[in-house]
Amino acid sequence: MSTASTMNPAASPSPDLGVLERPPQVLNNRGPLWVTDAVCSIVEGKTPLWWYAAITFTGTFAAIGGACILYMIVTGVGVWGSNNPCFWAWDITNFIFWVSMAHAGSLISALLFLTRQKWSLSISRAAEAMTVFAIICAGVYPAIHIGRVWMVWWLFPIPNSYGMWPNFSSPLLWDVFAVTSYLTVSSLFWFAGMIPDLAVLRDRATTKVRKFAYGIVSLGWLGTARQWRHYEMMYVLLAGLTSVLVVTVTTIVASDCATSVVPGWHATIFPFYFMVGAVYSGSAAILTLLLPLRLIYPQLRDLITPSQLDKVCKLLLMMGSCVAYVYVIELFNAWYSANPFERGAFWERFTGSSAWYAITCLSINLTIPQLFWFKAVRRCLPLVFILAILCNVGMWFERFMIVTSTLTHGFLPSSWKDFHPTIVDILTATGTLGIFFTLFLLFIRFVPIMSMNELKAVLPGTQQGNSAGEGH
Amino acid sequence: MNSRQSFRALNRATQQGRATKMSHHLPIAGSKDEPLYAIGARFDKPEALVRAVEHLRSEGITAYECFTPYPVHGLAESMRLPKSILSFLVLGGGASAILIALLMEIIPSTLIYPLVVDGKPLNLLALPQYIPIVVALTLMIGAITAVFGMILLGGMPRLNNPMFAWDLFAKEASRGFFLAVEARDKKFSNFGLTELLHELGAGDITAIHQEALEPPQGN
Repeated sequence: MSTASTMNPAASPSPDLGVLERPPQVLNNRGPLWVTDAVCSIVEGKTPLWWYAAITFTGTFAAIGGACILYMIVTGVGVWGSNNPCFWAWDITNFIFWVSMAHAGSLISALLFLTRQKWSLSISRAAEAMTVFAIICAGVYPAIHIGRVWMVWWLFPIPNSYGMWPNFSSPLLWDVFAVTSYLTVSSLFWFAGMIPDLAVLRDRATTKVRKFAYGIVSLGWLGTARQWRHYEMMYVLLAGLTSVLVVTVTTIVASDCATSVVPGWHATIFPFYFMVGAVYSGSAAILTLLLPLRLIYPQLRDLITPSQLDKVCKLLLMMGSCVAYVYVIELFNAWYSANPFERGAFWERFTGSSAWYAITCLSINLTIPQLFWFKAVRRCLPLVFILAILCNVGMWFERFMIVTSTLTHGFLPSSWKDFHPTIVDILTATGTLGIFFTLFLLFIRFVPIMSMNELKAVLPGTQQGNSAGEGH
Repeated sequence: MNSRQSFRALNRATQQGRATKMSHHLPIAGSKDEPLYAIGARFDKPEALVRAVEHLRSEGITAYECFTPYPVHGLAESMRLPKSILSFLVLGGGASAILIALLMEIIPSTLIYPLVVDGKPLNLLALPQYIPIVVALTLMIGAITAVFGMILLGGMPRLNNPMFAWDLFAKEASRGFFLAVEARDKKFSNFGLTELLHELGAGDITAIHQEALEPPQGN
């Protein structure tokens, strides 16, 4: 087992020799004070030059994306490449891409918390931040893809100006509720987890502005035993609710496609397909975000340990293998169904005009994650970074393949028409990337990027009776 | 803490000469002329804090509070804190959300604006199609209840606290394990509280007075 090599020799000898010891949560026997200093120093130090450069770069893309959205709103959806029959194209592709990426963040923080996987503690805050920002990017699209954005209130469960109510049996309306509740719950989960750490920043603040700002957002947290009592209960409850919500939201988003009768979409495997794809792309995204962070802030190397990154790689491998399984099953089912339309849809997908991106998607997603079987690959962090980016590129192509190749090749060959993105499409997509990274840069700079209170609570010697470091 | 109650308790303590006497030989935080709020102490280790709590309880002191940088296991038990009622609040919030979501979907779909597609039913027979929104809303209302419940049950949001008069606490709350025995406690200073805290290994024992509302003249 790979964890054996990172065993802490200082940890207590296990009574059962057959059980491997847990790898240390924080390397080099760092204490709680060091953890506080290491995490807070990122926020408290002088703003580094690279940060200004990076946020100017990402902010520019975000601004261009915003300009494109404005242009689309004042002109109409004709500025996009969407056509008849491909009414859903770039916008839904990006919506699914972002909302899927969000899922892994929730799973890493909530599900791994519930299953007491303590290794995820130091990456859970960043994962939750990734979730919130990815949902914000995803949320851009449903709001604008309706074309007449001033009629967005027609999506709400109220009668519109014609006295019509929304159709509650439509998965598109379910989407509205799913995304709204997902954004609300993951933001609350993220913020509530941060309250004690924001109070630490308040206590350490040296300027009046910081003390005031962190004083307001930490809500007067003091860390009394009563507050911790309710806080711990809340955290368990939120983790439970979030875990269920992740599965619900993916299922609902998958239902957008699966409940239609379009060949290539009408499959019961879709919720599972979207779920595993989501965790796969999200694990890749969290690696893409954490590895540069670890490079820029050397103090984080003791907190985000190679052993933890190794586990994220294994998660990616497992989910990547599930994705591969779904690809195979999907093709098998298309053949086994003996349905000419179903068979035709998949035949067209890999031989027709959509072949280039369908084959790109499959060749990336079937091969890249399988490289993580090798420990040498998992331990070579620059390589992991590149492979993780490739995985996300592959996943973007998968979303694009699912949405457009299906719509452009419907029942009637006479109505087939290819989709070509316009420059507005492309700049809006890069704009959401800009929004995502801008928000992440602000996150690094202004709030603690790790859950200090959770980390401190599991360090050796911080609890009664765990001075030997066996956790609790 | 109810501020009026605590003020009465403080007055009583001051009249009996307990509170002021107590703070004579201790470092003072806050304004000396204001009523005494609590005796604060700092412990190096969580074990020491838990032991101190056990001792205070055996002496019959009940109005005290512990401040820790992370949840210390066993502390709530030694303080005899009851289980958090938050789970029941969330259950209530979630259950009402189920009802609200079902009514919100079924009333418009069957009574106000029935949208019949392919002759499919819209009443309770069509329950499965209402479930996704019910689940999403239940989880959302449950989470909102959990977070706001935690904030309100924890006595937040609160802009200031008498404890902040103690500079050491305001600066070091993220590092140390603090205890504050409030002056409103009936048994406050009936015995050598300071000595007891010393014996229990506490450091930085300080009399925390409330801060003056108006800044002193002439400064």
